[in-house]
Amino acid sequence: MGLIGYDVNKYTPRQMVMIPMVILILSLAILGYNMATTGMPVRPGIDFSGGTAVTLFTTDTPGQLEQKFQGYPLLSVGEGVNNGKYLKFGPMDDASLQALALLIGAEYPDAKIDQIGASFGKTLQEQALIALIISFIGMAIVVFLAFRTLVPAVAVIFCAFTDIAMTAAGMSLVGIDLSLPTVAALLMLIGYSVDSDILLTMRVLKRQGKLEEKLSGAFQTGIIMTTTTLAAVAAMWVVAFAGQITVIWEIATVLLIGLVLDMMNTWLTNAGIIKWYVLKRGGK
Amino acid sequence: MSDSKLVACLKHWQVALMVLLLVASAIAIGPRFEDGKFTTNLQYGLDLQEGTWLQMEFKAEVVGFETDRAVEDFVADLQKQLDAEIYLIDENKLEIRGYYPEETLRTIFSAAGGRLTTYEQGVSRETADDVKRILENKLNALGTKDARVNPLTGLSGVSHYIRVELAGVSLSQAKEIVGTQGKFEIRIHTTGNQTEHVLYGDTITTVGVPSHEPPGSPVWGVSFTLSEEGARKFQQGAIATGAVSNPDAHYLDMVLDGNVVYSAPLSADLAAKLAIEPIRQLYASTGTGAAGLEAAKNHEIHLRAGALPVDVTVAGSGYVPAALSDYFRMMCVVAFIAAAIAVGVVIFYRYREPSIVLPMIGSNLTEIVILLGIATLIQQLDLAAIAALIAVMGTGIDQLVIITDEILHEGKVPSPTLYKKRLARALGIILVSAFTVIFAMIPLALMDLSSLRGFALITIIGVVIGVAITRPAYGEIIKEILSK
Repeated sequence: MGLIGYDVNKYTPRQMVMIPMVILILSLAILGYNMATTGMPVRPGIDFSGGTAVTLFTTDTPGQLEQKFQGYPLLSVGEGVNNGKYLKFGPMDDASLQALALLIGAEYPDAKIDQIGASFGKTLQEQALIALIISFIGMAIVVFLAFRTLVPAVAVIFCAFTDIAMTAAGMSLVGIDLSLPTVAALLMLIGYSVDSDILLTMRVLKRQGKLEEKLSGAFQTGIIMTTTTLAAVAAMWVVAFAGQITVIWEIATVLLIGLVLDMMNTWLTNAGIIKWYVLKRGGK
Repeated sequence: MSDSKLVACLKHWQVALMVLLLVASAIAIGPRFEDGKFTTNLQYGLDLQEGTWLQMEFKAEVVGFETDRAVEDFVADLQKQLDAEIYLIDENKLEIRGYYPEETLRTIFSAAGGRLTTYEQGVSRETADDVKRILENKLNALGTKDARVNPLTGLSGVSHYIRVELAGVSLSQAKEIVGTQGKFEIRIHTTGNQTEHVLYGDTITTVGVPSHEPPGSPVWGVSFTLSEEGARKFQQGAIATGAVSNPDAHYLDMVLDGNVVYSAPLSADLAAKLAIEPIRQLYASTGTGAAGLEAAKNHEIHLRAGALPVDVTVAGSGYVPAALSDYFRMMCVVAFIAAAIAVGVVIFYRYREPSIVLPMIGSNLTEIVILLGIATLIQQLDLAAIAALIAVMGTGIDQLVIITDEILHEGKVPSPTLYKKRLARALGIILVSAFTVIFAMIPLALMDLSSLRGFALITIIGVVIGVAITRPAYGEIIKEILSK
């Protein structure tokens, strides 16, 4: 199968983990910078910061829309194909909100409106953070119970963390906000990420045979796993992009970034660590 | 596949169970044409169906306390300081039905000789269920065709929010229906325009639907029942204001949010009865004909609105128009089909063997159908749930690849014993990754992150179906196919 011309046995563990570590450090730097300047590692969307999001289909230009919503705290106007427009408003009081809803209802009867109060957004943000942390801990416990050896388990958990951190940095570069759907996507990544890591670790530790064969066997299976998922997500991405379904498009984008990074983290970082571990133990 | 192999496959209970569930799910989903339109029993959430969601925050707190004093005395002292109802909901927990910041309460608690130990905005589960019931009654009475009311209860058992989803209702209508909750009060005129408070709506225990009273007469009205305490207050109020002795000079006002929504004298009959004993069963007449019926319907809502025990404010809201939801629904189907085809192409590229690829795709899609079948019973589908479906498809196909590669190791058809060993090993890998996904999703399923709960539930159920049913079944099918 010549889908990807990478030989998992060609490089030493040190060489393997080199590139991912550089990217990880860069990612953490991006997240750290965001944290220092805005207080959040990734820019929060209205789900978390509070505000109003409006999706509508109109031939009006962004300029015209800005004019129309002059009296309201309009933050941005996004444009998509099919005349789709995505408007974001900052937090406002109840009366303005009611007036805005009426205005939109009258001018664009087919608009979708979502409004989140600032304190509600804050609650959601706290809850989402707790959910992410608990999910991660839950995953870590299962991995530990499954392997019961320190280095392989830590390698899997570390890779999942790296996936999330790099993907979050990627989101920030591409300009995708942290929202309920993208948090869901990050959680999905935890699942996808450990899938191939567990396969790799199980194959290498629990099978008989030469290390090289086990590694390349695991690589063959693992890469097809990630490729199929990637194919499904890419299809979803195309449809969501063409059809202007923001929620699914955002989820798909985050997954695409995450899955590509996961290939690297699994077959460079995790494979590197497990190879080092087996070689150190004197296994073959 | 030949017929004999098909039979051999079905003889494995895992396969038989999968087929059985597939058929049951197909029936549960019930795809059919109705009025020339394709319909199913799937329930759609907002985004995929026109409607409005409102998330409302309870203006109340649940607090823990400590005191060396007798609890009754302590609570009585607090009650003097706070203009809100206070209920002891646990040995050392109070529900305060009014909004106070933590610092304010801390000061008041210390002054009363106690200490505030915990503070959480929201209401107890019981109160939240009361509110849910009241809202549901109100919405049903209005004939809202599809309304869902869910208190979002955190792990601590305190409900901070209550979420209302109304299909086919616009945002402003929805806010009118549920957002403008107010306090209901009955007052009686004393002299001139002066009125005196008699009771609040929380003493109204039940409210009837518009009816004729006496039966058969042309007069419309609504009956309602007071609690014993309410009936006593009503009697005392009516006597004290003089309404019992001279009803026509002392009209009874029903006030909702400071607006008089009903004003009428006590009937002579009721006044006479009240002079003797408290009356629990009351009736407010609203006139005759269509206007009377309309007024009765409105009055019913007013009476019910008064029964909401806690103030709420709208914390978040959203509206999806029909045109957009239909479009979303169609695009979801397209996205799903596109994803399935993409998966099929990659799998075919890898294995090049229809007898492996077809069962693989087949069992993957079966899993989705079973998942949808279960979803008709418990979960409405929204965009997040669709994302979960696609995620389940993704992990599903991943795990089928693991099984296939494990069994076909080195391209040889294994002997039965070897096959068993390898299948067990593959299922071992799958089990670990399934557990990680389940554990990763459990917090989302338990927490009140509204729309993500559906996402987590669908993912967890999907993974469980996969591990328990479709993966083992696929293992048996692939064995039968390979044992040429």
